[in-house]
Formats: sequence, structure tokens, C-alpha cells
Amino acid sequence: MNTLSSLQLCTEAPLSPGAVTLYHYLFLSASMFAIGIIGFLSRRNLIIMFLCTEMMFQAAGIALVAFSRYHMNHTGEVFVIFVLTIAAAEAALALALVVLLFRRRETLDAEAWTELNG
Amino acid sequence: MEAVINPILLYTLLGVGGLGVLLALPREKVNPQAIGALIAAAGFGGIFLALGLKAGSNHPGLFFYLFALIALGSGLRVITHPKPVYSALYFIMTVLSSSALFLMLGAEFMAFALIIIYAGAILITYLFVIMLATQAPSEEDLETLSEYDAYSREPAMATAVGFAVLALLTGMMAKGAAELAPSGGLRQSEALLTELPGKAIDALDRHGVFDGGALVRPDKTQAAELIDPVHRVIMLEVKDAEALRRLFERSPLAASLLGSEERVAALKAGSVNAGDRIEVKLPADVVVSSVDGVGWDLIAKHPMGLELAGVILLMAMLGAVVLARKQIEMGEAEKLDRVRSRGGEASGVAGARSAGSGGMAGAMAGSAGGGGGAA
Repeated sequence: MNTLSSLQLCTEAPLSPGAVTLYHYLFLSASMFAIGIIGFLSRRNLIIMFLCTEMMFQAAGIALVAFSRYHMNHTGEVFVIFVLTIAAAEAALALALVVLLFRRRETLDAEAWTELNG
Repeated sequence: MEAVINPILLYTLLGVGGLGVLLALPREKVNPQAIGALIAAAGFGGIFLALGLKAGSNHPGLFFYLFALIALGSGLRVITHPKPVYSALYFIMTVLSSSALFLMLGAEFMAFALIIIYAGAILITYLFVIMLATQAPSEEDLETLSEYDAYSREPAMATAVGFAVLALLTGMMAKGAAELAPSGGLRQSEALLTELPGKAIDALDRHGVFDGGALVRPDKTQAAELIDPVHRVIMLEVKDAEALRRLFERSPLAASLLGSEERVAALKAGSVNAGDRIEVKLPADVVVSSVDGVGWDLIAKHPMGLELAGVILLMAMLGAVVLARKQIEMGEAEKLDRVRSRGGEASGVAGARSAGSGGMAGAMAGSAGGGGGAA
């Protein structure tokens, strides 16, 4: 318990009952990000791997909007717009690459390209 | 962190969730996906239950828990479902529930932009590519999954890494237990009213305050210092006291903004002269919404980012076109042959390829399996 006590940085103000705090949103965002990491590392289908990066973008977006709300500042939301832009650009390029790779090997298996590992 | 959840409980339930995810990932031989999903759901559900119980008995955050669980559950299905099309559809679920969460955070614009851009555009592109890049099923086994979809790679390591990151993140977020301020259309709007004075001037125009030339209409670029956002009033200069009196009689809508009975009494007594400044109330419909705020922040504070985003999108479009237009000529029959011969690896490939497949040979030049194609 002593080691855990360093984690107990309580807030100054007591919480009102039933309040959804910033922590709730951050926990959701972190869980979604972790699920994205697990999927990216464990799945072998190239398309699912890119889908998992999209999920990580999504998780970052939730955290950004929650912080934007917390600080009463619109810049977080604006940053989500930029994240969406990058996600769209990334999807276009990554999917074009996937189509190209599929044409060469007739498979979406990431393990089919293991000879690229240097 | 103690204020929202007990750390021991959190990490125990995280462990349970990790075990569930590990079991739910597709793998060889025994495939206890349903049990794994149940355990993972119990883990994450337990954390949210603990968060909810700690928070109190009445549940204004009911919808948060509902949509958070939908988002996480369908996120889990994205990484565990063996069929890619279903994964993409479950990801749309995740996007929809996160946009519901954005709505609850008062980010209306982002919520609908997320649905339009993610669910409407990006995910549809994904679905198209999944359908384009999936091998046609052969007649004998329509339902067989590809080997790379059926088994995951190192599920235990991946889950361990993922949940280690999650434990690290949840430990670091311990200070985030502060309550979110009450939502509504008033966020930042007081400060933004002075930055967007045109909204106030236009609304006053609609209410007919400037009719008859009684008051000087301020220039929109210089009206900022005239507005008092806290008391929601604007200082306007009187041009013609006589016209102002007529405005009071003719237009009750404008008169309701121009003020009180004392003002009328002052007008009748003739103590309001041209050149005086009077307080005019701002109409109730002058509010700076979330969309106004986001738009203002985007255009006024991040113009460079906006330009760069445009350049990046253009580059991505050009890159995608250049990458995808590379033609690899291959007939349907030949394609099927190649898919079948994949089982026998390189030995069958050379024989199945006909002499006329020059384009394919060029495309295969870099790959080890097709090395014989140039002959």
C-alpha cells in the first residue's frame, strides 16, 4: 500500500455525487489506445493493423476533447480536426500501399513480408 | 486517484481485462473467444462500476458509462473478430459511440464531423479495400478464413505490452479526478463575444435598433471594446435624440433592448443628447456556440496549421493516386491459378504463369517468390 500511496494525488475539491470526471474520459481513452496497441501488435491482416492505428487516433481524439472541455478551451477540438485530417491522409496512403502489396503477393498477411526485416 | 477508484481494485480489474483480451484474440486450435470476451467485459465493466459506485448513487453519468462500454466492447471486437469486414463495421460502432461522448462533452461540431469523416468516408474506404483485397473464396470452402485472419501473432506478448501501457497511463492520470465544469452553450462564450463583435451588431440590426438613424452603428472591427460580455451590454453612441424617442414609440422590439423606464423618462425630459453613450442590452440570441468557438479558434489562432493540413491532404491524394495506378495485368483465370498454386509455394508459381504476363513479371521482380518471372 505504501508504494501505491504515491499514486493517491487526491483533488483539492471533493467530488459531487455521480459526477463524471476528467479521469473517466482519460481512462476510456487510455483503454481504447491500449486495445489499439494490442490489435496492431497481434493481428496479421494489414488492413486490420491500419484499422487499429485509426482506433488509436480515435482514443487520442477523446482525450483531446475531454481536455478541451476541462480547460474550457477550443484548441483541443481544433487539434482533433487536424488529427482527423492526418487520419484521412494516412488512410488514403496506407490503403493505396495495401492494395499495391496485395497485388504483389495476393495476400494481406503481414508475415508474407518478413524478408524485409533487414 | 483514491477519490475516483481504489488503485488495487483498478489494477486487479485491469489484469482481469487483460486476461479476457488475451483469451478473445483469435488463435490456433482451441478458440475460447466467447469466454475471453466475457472476462474482458467483466474487467472493464467492473472498473466502470467501481467508478460509478464511488461517484455516488444518482447517475447523471449513466450515458457516459453506456457509451464508454459500447465503445470499448466494439473496440475489442475490432481486434478479435476474425473477419475483416466485421472488424470495420464494429469500428464504425466505436466511432458512433465516441461521437456520442463528444456530444456529452459539448463538442457538437466534432461529434458530427467525426461521424461524417470517420464513419462516412474513412471507414467506407476501408470497407472497399477490404473487399478489393480479399481472395475470392473457392467453391469447396466458402466459409474458411484466411490463415492470417484466423491466428494472431504473439497474442500473449501483445496483450502484456498493451496492458502495461494502460497501467502506466492510468497511473499517470491520477490527477485527473477533477470535475468537468457544467456544460452548456456558455463555455468561453463571454470572452469570445468581444472577439466576434459582428454577431452582436448583426443581432442588433435584426432587432431594428439602428432603424431611423437614432444610434451610430459601430464599425464591426472596432466594436470589440464597446461590448461588456459579463453584463451582456454594448455601449452605443446616440446620433439623434429625437429619432431615438420615435424608435421607442414605433418599435417595441428595439425598445425592449434600449432599456428601462428611466431611459424613457430621461428621453422625455430631454436629458439624452446626441453624442451621449447609452447602454443597449444584447439580444438573448447572441450566444457564441461551440461551432463558433471552434471555427474562430481554427481560423484565427491556427491559420498555419489549416494551410498545412490542406497541403498534406493534397500530397496524400497525389501519393495515393501515384501508388494505386500502377497496373499489374493479370487475367481472372491466371489469378485463380496463382491463388491455388500458393499452397505449393514457388514450385507451382512458375508453371502456372503464362508467357504473356510481362506486366506481372515486372511487378514481381522485387519479390523472392517470383524471381523466375523475368526469364
